[in-house]
Amino acid sequence: MRKVPTPTPLNHALALGSSRKGAGEWWAERLSAIALIPLTIWFAASVIALTGSDHAAFVAWLKTPFATICMILLLIALFHHTALGLQVIIEDYVHSGAKFAAIIATRLGCFALAVAGIVATLRIPFAG
Amino acid sequence: MSSPGARGRPLSPNIQIYRPQLTSVLSIANRITGVILSAFAVLMVVWLIAAASGPQPFSTVQRSIGSLFGQILMLGFTFSFFMHLCGGIRHLIWDTGHGFELRSIYASGWAVVVASILLTALTWGVSIWMGVG
Amino acid sequence: MMGKEKRLPLIIDSSDQLPSATILKRFPLPRNFGVAPDSRIEEGQVWKAPAGASRTKAFTIYRYDPDSGDNPTLDIFEVDLDDCGPMVLDALIWIKNKIDPTLTFRRSCREGVCGSCAMNIDGTNWLACTREIAETDEAGRIYPLSNMRIVKDLVPDLTHVFAQYAAMEPWLHSKTPAPENERLQSPEERSELDGYYECILCFCCTSGCPSHWWNGDRFLGPAALLQAYRWLADTRDEATGQRLDDLEDPFRLYRCHTILNCTRTCPKGGTPARRSPRSRK
Repeated sequence: MRKVPTPTPLNHALALGSSRKGAGEWWAERLSAIALIPLTIWFAASVIALTGSDHAAFVAWLKTPFATICMILLLIALFHHTALGLQVIIEDYVHSGAKFAAIIATRLGCFALAVAGIVATLRIPFAG
Repeated sequence: MSSPGARGRPLSPNIQIYRPQLTSVLSIANRITGVILSAFAVLMVVWLIAAASGPQPFSTVQRSIGSLFGQILMLGFTFSFFMHLCGGIRHLIWDTGHGFELRSIYASGWAVVVASILLTALTWGVSIWMGVG
Repeated sequence: MMGKEKRLPLIIDSSDQLPSATILKRFPLPRNFGVAPDSRIEEGQVWKAPAGASRTKAFTIYRYDPDSGDNPTLDIFEVDLDDCGPMVLDALIWIKNKIDPTLTFRRSCREGVCGSCAMNIDGTNWLACTREIAETDEAGRIYPLSNMRIVKDLVPDLTHVFAQYAAMEPWLHSKTPAPENERLQSPEERSELDGYYECILCFCCTSGCPSHWWNGDRFLGPAALLQAYRWLADTRDEATGQRLDDLEDPFRLYRCHTILNCTRTCPKGGTPARRSPRSRK
């Protein structure tokens, strides 16, 4: 990419201009956060209620339609929120070329983990 | 003897001397707890895969969670979770445009710290009581 | 000075209150953590108070001499409190008059309205002319504004932050031709500007913002964003859409993570962070 020459301070401040995007991601982070509040509380409460139970009890809990749906929604919202949050952190602190590799790896990794989690959840009723 | 242009001007210290205040400390805590929770999100998927693989892998994972090291990790995780949850709610309130006066910032900040500690203690208390009972 | 009525412990009501809860004076990092070799701070000289001074106080002050080619240093000055005024700026002027005339700093109004003497005192950014010596630590630490290129001693190079301000086009954009008299505005519309027009552009907020430390090249910072909002809120301005488009950028605006160091440190009691959500909507 050709570097824009920056002879004046104002030129340097204006740089390549505004990208005119960013509001979408900001909203997505907020929406996933709002969705995560009830979902994570549900998850935490369920895990506490399951203290000391064995595999059969766990399967019985997760295979109900309500629990399955909540778990899938939790995985989607969680990994979307995580991907956006980690991307912001990388953008903040990493300024070298490694930034792009890091962001790509993070987003793809989160997507893969979400899919793995959803598949595992759907396979629970058939386990054990 | 060098001219200023050749040597370049030094940068004044920033994080090396700036005073940590509730504002910046809670903000970085929210970020650090977020990163910790990301790590636990990965572990949660591992846990789900173990559950989907059968009773043996599941009980192996449950045993390692029940070990001393596992319980210490879980304590760290619950505290991080509640701190990030309360901090996140505080952020969402700011996003509506409210709570920017210094008094509210400080009051909500301390509330986040206290709530995180209390909720962690409550969760662990309930969990221990359920395990014992 | 703002009133010193009874206040709740640990709750800060206004930015002129000193930090009370933070036990650490700085983050637990090495003194020269992440600092470029030519910015590393080294030990400087100790300047004792003149003989006969009974009440003295030591100040550790950042020094940098561009003509010497040396690294910045920390000099320790003992100030005779009976001989100088009550404010930190008075101490600096006393040092310059009586001890070391090469000490360099900006100052003008000496009453907290011009923004020239903004510097980092005891770890937080404030105006030297409105910070009392009695309120500083036992060993007062005076540094220039954080994360700025230093011209000399306590004088920062504000070119970049002023350029970011200029990039916000802080003047009225109007397609409607100028009316015969003023462009009218109701009192309610005018009150929309309260809290934004009072900014004195001292840049305490921007130089205290960690996001600006790490991304100051592209992140506009609280001061510029506050002024951007001041023009967004002005009902007489007719370029609102274009201003919003220019702001909407992951770096220009969205590096603001509501850390709120800006609001904590504003010597005029401003809230640079408040405009943020409104800009985002």
